[in-house]
Amino acid sequence: MADRLSALVVCPGRGTYGKNELGYLGRHHQARRELIERFDRLRADRGQPTLSELDGAARFSVATHTRGDIASPLIFAASYADYLAIDRNRFDVAAVTGNSMGWYTALACGGAVSAEDGFRIVDAMGENSQAGEPGGQVLVGLVDDEWREISGLRGELLDLAERIHQRDGAKLHLSIDLGGMLVFAGNEAGLEALLAEAPANPAREPMRLVNHGPFHTPLMKGSSERAFQLPAEYIGGPDRPMIDGRGHIWRPHASSPKALRDYTFGFQILEPYHFTRAIQVAVREHAPDRIILLGPGDTLGGAIAQALIAINWRGLSSKRDFQDMQSSEPYLLAMGRDEQRALVTE
Amino acid sequence: MDAAQVIHEKFVAKVKSGRLPRRVASVQPEEVGLAPEALVELFYSQVTSRQMDRLSRRLQARGEGFYTIGSSGHENNAAVAEAFRADDLAFLHYRSNAFQIHRSKKLPGQTPAWDMLLSFAASAEDPISGGRHKVIGSKPLAIPPQTSTIASHLPKAVGAAFGLGIARTLKLAETAVARDSIILGSFGDASANHSTAQGAFNTAQWAAYQGTPMPLVFLCEDNGIGISTRTPPGWIEASFRDRPSLRYIHCSGLDLVDSYRGALEASRHARSRRQPVFLHMDCVRLYGHAGSDVQSTYLSKQQIEQDEERDPLVYSAALLIEQDILSARNILEIYDETEATLDRVAEQAITRPKLTNSAMVMASLIPPKRESVRTNSPAPEQRRALFARDANMMDKPQHMARLLSWALADLMLAYPNVIVAGEDVGPKGGVYNVTAKLHERFGSARVINTLLDEQSILGLGIGGAHVGLLPITEIQFLAYVHNAEDQIRGEAATLSFFSNGQYTNPMVIRIAGLGYQKGFGGHFHNDNSLAVFRDIPGLVLACPSNGADAVEMLRECVRLADEEQRVVVFIEPIALYMTRDLHEEGDALWTASYAAPGESRPIRLGELNVHGDGDELAIVSYANGYYLSRQAARILEEKHKLKLRVIDLRWLAPLDEEALVAATRGCRKVLIVDECRRTGSQSEALMALFAERATDVDCRRLTAEDSFIPLGRAATLTLPSRDSIVEAALELTRG
Repeated sequence: MADRLSALVVCPGRGTYGKNELGYLGRHHQARRELIERFDRLRADRGQPTLSELDGAARFSVATHTRGDIASPLIFAASYADYLAIDRNRFDVAAVTGNSMGWYTALACGGAVSAEDGFRIVDAMGENSQAGEPGGQVLVGLVDDEWREISGLRGELLDLAERIHQRDGAKLHLSIDLGGMLVFAGNEAGLEALLAEAPANPAREPMRLVNHGPFHTPLMKGSSERAFQLPAEYIGGPDRPMIDGRGHIWRPHASSPKALRDYTFGFQILEPYHFTRAIQVAVREHAPDRIILLGPGDTLGGAIAQALIAINWRGLSSKRDFQDMQSSEPYLLAMGRDEQRALVTE
Repeated sequence: MDAAQVIHEKFVAKVKSGRLPRRVASVQPEEVGLAPEALVELFYSQVTSRQMDRLSRRLQARGEGFYTIGSSGHENNAAVAEAFRADDLAFLHYRSNAFQIHRSKKLPGQTPAWDMLLSFAASAEDPISGGRHKVIGSKPLAIPPQTSTIASHLPKAVGAAFGLGIARTLKLAETAVARDSIILGSFGDASANHSTAQGAFNTAQWAAYQGTPMPLVFLCEDNGIGISTRTPPGWIEASFRDRPSLRYIHCSGLDLVDSYRGALEASRHARSRRQPVFLHMDCVRLYGHAGSDVQSTYLSKQQIEQDEERDPLVYSAALLIEQDILSARNILEIYDETEATLDRVAEQAITRPKLTNSAMVMASLIPPKRESVRTNSPAPEQRRALFARDANMMDKPQHMARLLSWALADLMLAYPNVIVAGEDVGPKGGVYNVTAKLHERFGSARVINTLLDEQSILGLGIGGAHVGLLPITEIQFLAYVHNAEDQIRGEAATLSFFSNGQYTNPMVIRIAGLGYQKGFGGHFHNDNSLAVFRDIPGLVLACPSNGADAVEMLRECVRLADEEQRVVVFIEPIALYMTRDLHEEGDALWTASYAAPGESRPIRLGELNVHGDGDELAIVSYANGYYLSRQAARILEEKHKLKLRVIDLRWLAPLDEEALVAATRGCRKVLIVDECRRTGSQSEALMALFAERATDVDCRRLTAEDSFIPLGRAATLTLPSRDSIVEAALELTRG
């Protein structure tokens, strides 16, 4: 054990399976074919296109691959397979966490749901959000070029969102606190107002997230209700500590499956997801030697780094510090990056 | 072998071998609603606490840790945390790691391991004290940090519980804590004997006995020993089991389920009945008092081994195995993994910044400012109604006592959260009528006759402030504050400092004092030493010399408490309460008309009063000394043609040195007149100030002798007088 490094495992959310990730399962997970085939069968049984087909498609289609009922299971499968690919002779998993739908992956990595049941949940949630409530998400930058939070901007944005939400016909809520970004979610009127009125930040223009629903807001009430119709026995207790989107730690043997289900299908869907806090709690309470960001993609790496910079973790106070650390002895290992993946897998 | 290592090895060996003790209680988890997962979570908290104790010793050995008073043997206080709400204000003693760790789990996003290890490492980032103090405390978890090892936090626990009831009665819109919360105060068996603790128990009972709400749980964690002195077996139970109006509940600190049962019963009783409870939990002290304490110097080997056999962690492991919740292997995994995790966290925590200069250390001595809680701007008709019976007196000059009583009434009208509390302040209106008619005007919820115990009066102020009241407490005579000074010095004044400005207890402590009373007293009613307040960092010490100033200064004191969260001591010179004349009988020069709040001419903190503009002599004084100096000044001016000025300091702490030096500028001679004793009086600081800051000034002092005050006509013999001031001034100026 002493020779192994402790790792915090981070499961990415929606928007991480993009053009560059097409073929991810095929490229990286031949050794886990059997797992992918099980997922394929689950989809085939329901008449859905299989992950192998989708991942093996000739070209990436925004219209198809970013749909909730496609993207979510693809991301779950890629992340979970990456988790299994971590070299356990080199790493002990100290804890797992995730961002947004990555929470469902974290449940599987943490042992609170089986791979299949996790897949069923994600598949159902992906579909359910695709079918679901009108609205979407807009991502707004909070930090400067060095990934330091611009003073006062957070408060300004939260106040603006609150004011927009008060207007007739507009709905707007904080959706995800995502490192150096805030994700807001709401209905069209709310999102349009935010895009029009968000204070300028030269480092990042506000961006509408394609094919995303109004996740982590009360607009997802129907989605939450449908989620509760999933079999209760899907969710059990974890075998690794899991840090949720409030920064609460679910520990092995100490987590009530009912409470975990209530959180996952209730609060987690309807209230803001504090990914920043989840990362900060995870590093402070587990002080991992490394952070492993599961694939697909590596875009969540920036948010993780920003969450660390915000608390000066390991002395990091800027993007440059982070890059220096990464180039000398990488602390954040993104499995979606080949050179870092090599440091994680067998 | 190190005691902590012995306990560690015994734990591992017992769990591995299965040679585990039988439970000491029969209550089953389901009877008290403890699910298996909840028991395991409690066990995690206990293990984290235990491993933190071990880690603290390793860190200290490396020179990286600065605190080794452990919680080992007291880990069942985690079950108390489970039985209370996370917003129940908890005043905890120092073996409460497991409590804090467990309470943190009720509030997602907390980082107890990180926070506590920063505290062990005395890092400036320690979230409760900023590296200034030990480990137990958290703002989000409603655990104010305690400086006490002697239960001196119990009077304020009682005060907070009492204050909750007052806040409810007054229907204050904003209170610092939920109105249905309860208060917890924990302490050990040894400090239960402390007179401060006994006073707190007594006060809680005294109040509850007459039906006053007192939603409070005293948690006595009885480990049977105080440093090296054994508590007589059975003493705590014998002493507390049958006290009036104090519900006694016993539980075993060796059994998680029984601890929870007791704590749940206690918290429910306190919450539903709003009556005090004494929760007696048997604990054990496993490693000696602190890291440096070697138990074998005062305990026999057999006694130490007996204690080691009572390790609550072993009992918790036995419970979990017996209940088929965890296997021995699971338990050891949790134990080892927690150790490894904390080791990693500690390596990061010790790299965090420390306090590196005095400015950083002192940054929280003075609390941060806050928005005023003053909500009322009383309408003229409100004031007219309030003062209806005094209307014909209000436009005539009055003495200080009456002016103060009106000022208090106006303040109570303006600040809905002001309470006035002290001995005899109610219907009697105080010994000197300063609180006259307040009770009649504002009722017994806001004008509170306390029992005869200064520690409890100050505790009421401190605790009341914790729950959002703005207490104006009264100490009847200056001499009486000395039995309770630690409540100001060790508790009230330190809170902001040790909590990095996060917790405050803004309050005004009115104290009638100083000498010169005609025909009354002896020493204990004429005490003339303020030394006890002079060296307390951050404390404001106000001392008016006349009624007009007293009104404005009292208003400023309440503003300082309200807006700047300061702890203020307001000394009222008794001899000047009823004084009307300055030079001749009937001149009424020491009276003033009452300035209503709208006509107020504020006297801000540090603002001096300079009478005259002569440049041959400046007399610097305060209170009675100023009054006598004004008498002397006329003689010096008229008879001796001396050009002088007389300066009233008004504010003794903090002393505005710049302003004072500026006020004496142009005078080559300065005479300090101090009615307090030569040793320890303000005059010492003033002499030093002029020696350091005004080297061209010839400065002398006239003070009271280093004596206690005698009776009768002899009462003023040791004090400065008008004539001795004249004499000293002439000697200084004419040589």
